[in-house]
This record gives sequence, structure tokens and C-alpha cells, in this order.
Amino acid sequence: MSKTQDYIVERLGIGEVLAHARNKTVPKHEYSFWYYWGGISLFCFLVQLVSGILLLLYYRPGPEAYDSVRQITYETHFGWLIRSVHNWSASLFLASVFIHMFSVFFMKAYRSPREFGWFTGLGLLGIGMLFGFSGYLLPMDTLAYFATKVGLDIPSSIPIVGPPIANLIRGGLEVGEFTVQRFFTLHAVILPLLFLPLLGLHLWLVQKHGNAVPPGEETKPVAERKSIPFFPNFVAKDLAMWLITLNVIALLAALFPWQLGEMSDPLGSAPVGIHPEWYFMSQFQTLKVFGKLFPGYAGEALGMTLFTVGIALWALIPFYDIRGAASSRAKKATYFGIAVITFTIVMTVWGYLSV
Amino acid sequence: MNYPVWEVPKLGGAWVIGIVSIFHVLIAWFAVGGGLYLPMAESKLYREKREDWLPVLMKHSRFFLVLTSIFGAVSGVGIWFSIGLVHPEATSTLIHNFVFGWAIEWVFFVVELAAAAVYYYTWNRIPRELHLKVGYLYAIASLLTLVIINGILSFMLTPGRAWLDVAGTGTEASRFWWAFFNPTYFPSLIMRILACLSLAGIYALITYSRSDEEALAKSRIHMVRWTAGWLAPMFLLMPLTLLWFLHQIPSENRGLLELGMNTIGSGAFTQVTRIAMLTIITTLTIAGVVYLFAYKWPRDLSLGHSIALLGLAVIATASTEYARETVRKPYVISAHMYSNGVRKRDVARINAEGYLSRSIWTPVTSNTVTLGHQVFRGQCMSCHTVGGYRAMTQLLQGRDRKAIGQLLATLHDPPKDSMYRKYMPPLVGKQDEIDALGDYLATISVKPAEAPLKLAPTPAAPTPAPVAPTAPTAAATPDKKVTLR
Repeated sequence: MSKTQDYIVERLGIGEVLAHARNKTVPKHEYSFWYYWGGISLFCFLVQLVSGILLLLYYRPGPEAYDSVRQITYETHFGWLIRSVHNWSASLFLASVFIHMFSVFFMKAYRSPREFGWFTGLGLLGIGMLFGFSGYLLPMDTLAYFATKVGLDIPSSIPIVGPPIANLIRGGLEVGEFTVQRFFTLHAVILPLLFLPLLGLHLWLVQKHGNAVPPGEETKPVAERKSIPFFPNFVAKDLAMWLITLNVIALLAALFPWQLGEMSDPLGSAPVGIHPEWYFMSQFQTLKVFGKLFPGYAGEALGMTLFTVGIALWALIPFYDIRGAASSRAKKATYFGIAVITFTIVMTVWGYLSV
Repeated sequence: MNYPVWEVPKLGGAWVIGIVSIFHVLIAWFAVGGGLYLPMAESKLYREKREDWLPVLMKHSRFFLVLTSIFGAVSGVGIWFSIGLVHPEATSTLIHNFVFGWAIEWVFFVVELAAAAVYYYTWNRIPRELHLKVGYLYAIASLLTLVIINGILSFMLTPGRAWLDVAGTGTEASRFWWAFFNPTYFPSLIMRILACLSLAGIYALITYSRSDEEALAKSRIHMVRWTAGWLAPMFLLMPLTLLWFLHQIPSENRGLLELGMNTIGSGAFTQVTRIAMLTIITTLTIAGVVYLFAYKWPRDLSLGHSIALLGLAVIATASTEYARETVRKPYVISAHMYSNGVRKRDVARINAEGYLSRSIWTPVTSNTVTLGHQVFRGQCMSCHTVGGYRAMTQLLQGRDRKAIGQLLATLHDPPKDSMYRKYMPPLVGKQDEIDALGDYLATISVKPAEAPLKLAPTPAAPTPAPVAPTAPTAAATPDKKVTLR
């Protein structure tokens, strides 16, 4: 066995990697729990990858899109399960990425030398949200149809360049089979091609720099800091978390399986109470509030500006918070984080209450 | 309808039984498994001279005593209350058949309680051998309570031909032993014993993971690993016993499990498959976590892991109990009494003579909606609520009076292969009673509202829909014209 191992290790040249894994440790302190959320996000992504591939076996984009999803949901053995798992793991993926992002923020794990870990993470979140947006149309039921139709009215309202852009995304003047084809290409080809290398870079950076310790832990002398071996101890704990996550997904899929609405009808009425998925709710509510306060383009422009500035500040935080845990910049960064998380939660809850 | 109807809004009576029962089962199974675990662990510690761990075991026995003799006993009585209120007809049938069985169970239960108290209060006060004997006495008494109750519970799914032949003749109790040792008795008993042993292991892991004294580390590792062994029989034997159990139940009950594989239908018919699936996945996860943290790396077992294991065990237990109850549909006592308390042999007579005329609690009125409500309370409400669990407002899907009439005609005499026949009791009664039910249901059938939609790509319209995939205006009400863009 050992000879075979040596044979493989030598030819693949992975001796260094194995040595790294053997010597790597993970800090152990009162906030260690938050280290698991990156792993949970990764696991949710893997579940989506596998369930997505299984859905690909039966899904047919284009004019047959609705019918193929109906077959998956109501005829194929356990098709409903795969579809529900895919949808629920998408929500859980974004939820765990949000938790991961905020825990990284408050543990100040974006500081040097981990800035690129922060940027790539934000990139992965952005692509993840686009996955959600593009996947939503694919069943082509009433809800998906009207949501996308309405969503694509946004770019088309931009003067001059808006309509051609919207038509390009839509594949014509109306949402139809060509839109589904395009969204499918985005969802199953373009976005994975962008996501996977970025994910590889993100994971490599995590391995390279190791887990950051929170500021409170940094002040302790090195001799007093505790750690556990990455392999097998931390990996086993990670694996346990993955198993728990798998159970949460299964529980949600079994108790609340995703249904399929009526086939989309361009001439029909939109159903009552349609609202964005939860991960878009805070933005949606903010723009709605601005739209009410400042009717017309002013509200829209103000809302969009606020978001752009907010996201830019959020992304650039590693360049601002550079002067040690006790500095006033570090404290301001923490207050900024608290403000962002409060704002997001309040707007999301408000959004749901006003649906 | 010889009994008044207990109305539980939103939740439904079945869930009251469900919640109380699941809580009780989690404790009662621990009482049986833990009863064996304690003296075996104690004996092991004496034998291997690991007496440093005895205080931890004593602590565990205190937790055990409080949990089983207080919460177990109280919730057991709770089951009686709830089944008596929700299913009085079925409870009456069970009492008439098994009254002596229950009497014997209570004798064992009294012995069990007494032995548990003596075991806990005599640690280090009586000779060790005698203390162990008290522990084993407890184990035997608690196992015998399971041996009895298992006969009654499994009877409800498979009463057996011998009992069914005399059902309704007044001589049912003469077939006590046939009913008791019914076709699913032994697979059910083995499954329950396996679950009891597993739960005993999981509860012990909770106590052990709370002990973090460095001086005890060696014993802790040893005992955690030994405790992991308590879950091994479950994982080795459970699949076989499950197959045996499935083989013993009638094919129509098995058919209910297959229904949910290829469709989710309207949801309600396939719940049992979906829930049964949870049993499998949670059980496998428990196996994985126990292997990793209790067997392979027992040093890493944390309280969080143990609590997660208990949480998974709760889901596994709840799912199994739910699936076991639901797979019996449309009966509460298979092939004898439907889940709404109507006896199978009475269907033709009720259809000829009427349902409400036999219901002594029906108010005297000619109002068809009121009469229909009475039919609903008697025949539907043991499973459905108006606006909560299995809500009629939702299941009627906005049908009008005519469509409701058609649905009721199907429910009254469902086609042979209809899902309704497999899952729901037939609607019984004379045509005027069925019509009255239709009148009542029409009052609670709400048509789903539609928002008039005007897609107006005028640039000045105020509501923006940003990056959201589903971004219409939020407060769309049926009576309000909404502009989406």
C-alpha cells in the first residue's frame, strides 16, 4: 500500500501538499464555530453541482422548458427530490455565504495578507446571486415568467442603451423560449466557468494563509494560543457539519418540496404576493422605499447610487482597516459592519411584512 | 358520532397526539435502553476497575431518573388524554380488546418506577451486587412495558385475520393473543428495542461529553468508545428488520410508500414517503457522526456533537412514528376502522340510514351549512383543519359549489385506483348530508386572488425592480390595480 502511495505521490509531485496538510493547524478559541461556515458554503455548492447535473439529464431549455420541469417534478422517480434539493441548497448556499462573509468581516480576517481572499469571496457571492437570478426563470411557470419580465424592465428603462441591452439578454422583445435558452446558458455554462476557477483561487488562498485569528486572540502570547491539527481533526469536524447540513437540506426538501405553478401565459395576470427571493429582498425594499420618497428617476438613481457606494465601501474595507485592532479605523469598520447587518435585516423583514 | 368532537384550531387533533407521543417515545425508549445501559456500564466499571468514572455514571442516573419517571410518566398520561379526545371510537376499541394488557403494563410500570428510584438513591449505600440486581430488575420491568405496548401499537396496523373475523361481534377480546402477536409484532418489537439501545447510547454521550476533567480523560475516551457500540446493533440490524416489517404489512400500505417516489402530487398523499426518507438519512447521519466522534476520535466529541446527535435522533424518531402512523391510512385500525372513526362494516348502513341521524351531538336545525359543518367535524376533522394543518381552505383550491359537489361525489365512491381510496376514508352519509357538507365547504373555499397586471414600460413609473429575479411591487392586493415594471 505504502509503495503504491509513494508511486502516486512521486509522479503527481504532491509531496509538498501532503506535508502541508499534515503540519497545518486550525486555531481553537471561543469563536472557532465561525470557521465552519466557509466549509458549509462549499458543501452547499457541491450539492448544487451534483443536483444540477442530475437535473440536466431531464431538463430541456427552450419551448419544452415547462414541460420538462413538470416531468421532473411529477413523473420522474425522485425528480421532485432532486429539484427541491437543488432549490433549497441554493438558498442555504447563499445564507451560509452571508454568514461566512459577516463572520470574516467581524473577525477582521480580511486584513493583510488575506485581502484577495476577501475579494474572491465577494466575487463568489456575486456570481452565486446571479446563479439564483438566472435559475429562477428556467421552470417557466407563471411566477418565473412575470418575475423575469419585470426584472428585465430595469435595464430597458435606461435611456438609449437600455432597450438593446434588455433585448440582448432576453433574446428578443418578449420573454420567451430564447430567453430561457440564454438564461440556461448563463446558469449552466457561463457562470460555472467563472465560478469554479474563482473558487479554486479562494480555496488556495485559504490554504496558503491559513485561518485568521480574531483580534482578541491575537493579543494573547503565541504560547497560550490553542490549535488543533487540520487533518484529521478539523476535517472530521467539518465533515460532521457537512452531514448536518445535508440533513437540513433533506429536511427542507421533504417537508417543503418545491411545487410548480401554472404554465406561463404572457396574456395572463400576475399572481398576487409575488416578491423577490429572500436574498434580494433588502435591495428590493430599499429601492421601493426610495422610489416612494422620490418618485421617478430620482428615487431609482438615489437607491442605485447608495447600493453602488455601499458595495464599493464594503469591498474596499481591507484598504481602510489597516492599523491594528485597537485603532479608531478598526472600530469604525466594526460599526460599519454592524450598520450594514442591521440595515440588511431590517430591510428584509420590512420587505416581507409589506408583501 | 357517539362522542363530542374536540376541535383544535390550526394544529389539528392529530398533531396534539403526535407531539405528545413523539416527546413520550423519546423518553420511554430511553427508559428501556437506559435501563439496560446503566447496570451494564456500572458492572463494566467495577470489572475493569475504572471507578474514577462512577461519579459520572451516577450523574447520568440522576438525569435518567428525572427524565423517565417525571417527564416519561406525565407524557404517557398525556397520550391517553389526547387519543381519548381525538379518537374516542378507536380508543374505545383498544380498551375493550386490551384492557388486561394495559393493566399488566401498569404493574410493570410501577415496578419500573420503584426500581429506578431505589437504584438512584442506593448508590454506595447497599452492596454493589445488590445495586446491580436492582438495576437489572429495572431493565427487565421497563423492557416488559415495551413488550406489552408493542402488541397494542402493532395491532393497529395489522390486526390480523383472526381478530378481523370477529371484529364487531362483541367477542373480539376472545382473540386477544392473535391480535396481540399480530403479523408485525416481532419486527416492530425488534426495531423498537434497537432504537431504545441507540437512544440510551446517545443520552449517555451527552452526559459524557459534558465531563471535561483532564484527570478523567482516559476513562472518558474508553467509555465514549464503548457507548458508541450501543448504536452498532441498530445500524447492523435495522435495515433487515425494516425489510421484514415492510414484508409483513399489507401491499396496499406498502403502496402508499411507493406513491411518493415518482411525484409530489398535491403534497398530502406523498408526505409519508418524504417523511420516511428523513428516517433513513438522519439514521445514516447518526451512524456517521457516532463513528467519527465516538468511535474513531472519541477525544474530539463535544457537547455540540452530542446535542446534534440528539436532534437527529428526534427527527429520526418523529419521522418514523409519523410514517408508521400514516402508512396505516385510510384506517386508524387497519381494515376495521377508518381514520375518522367510521367502521368499515358500517359504511353501507350509514349510506342508507344517514350519518347525522346516528350522531347524538348534532344540533337540531334545518340550516344546511350548520349540518354540513357537523358532517365536517365528524368525518373530516380528525385529519383536516379549516385553515391550518392540511387546510381545507388550501386543499379546495378555490373550487366553486359545483366543483365541490363533484369532489364529494368522488370521495363518496372513489374509483378503484383513485389516490383518494388509498389514502382517505370514503365520505359516508345520505345525499342530503353530502350536499350539506358541500354547502359548508363552499363557505370556506376561497378563490385565489389575482392581481390585475399592467406592464407599463413608461419611464416615469415609480416602482423599480432591481437585481431581483422576482421583483414586482410588494403590496399587491386583489382590489387594487397594480402597476408592475
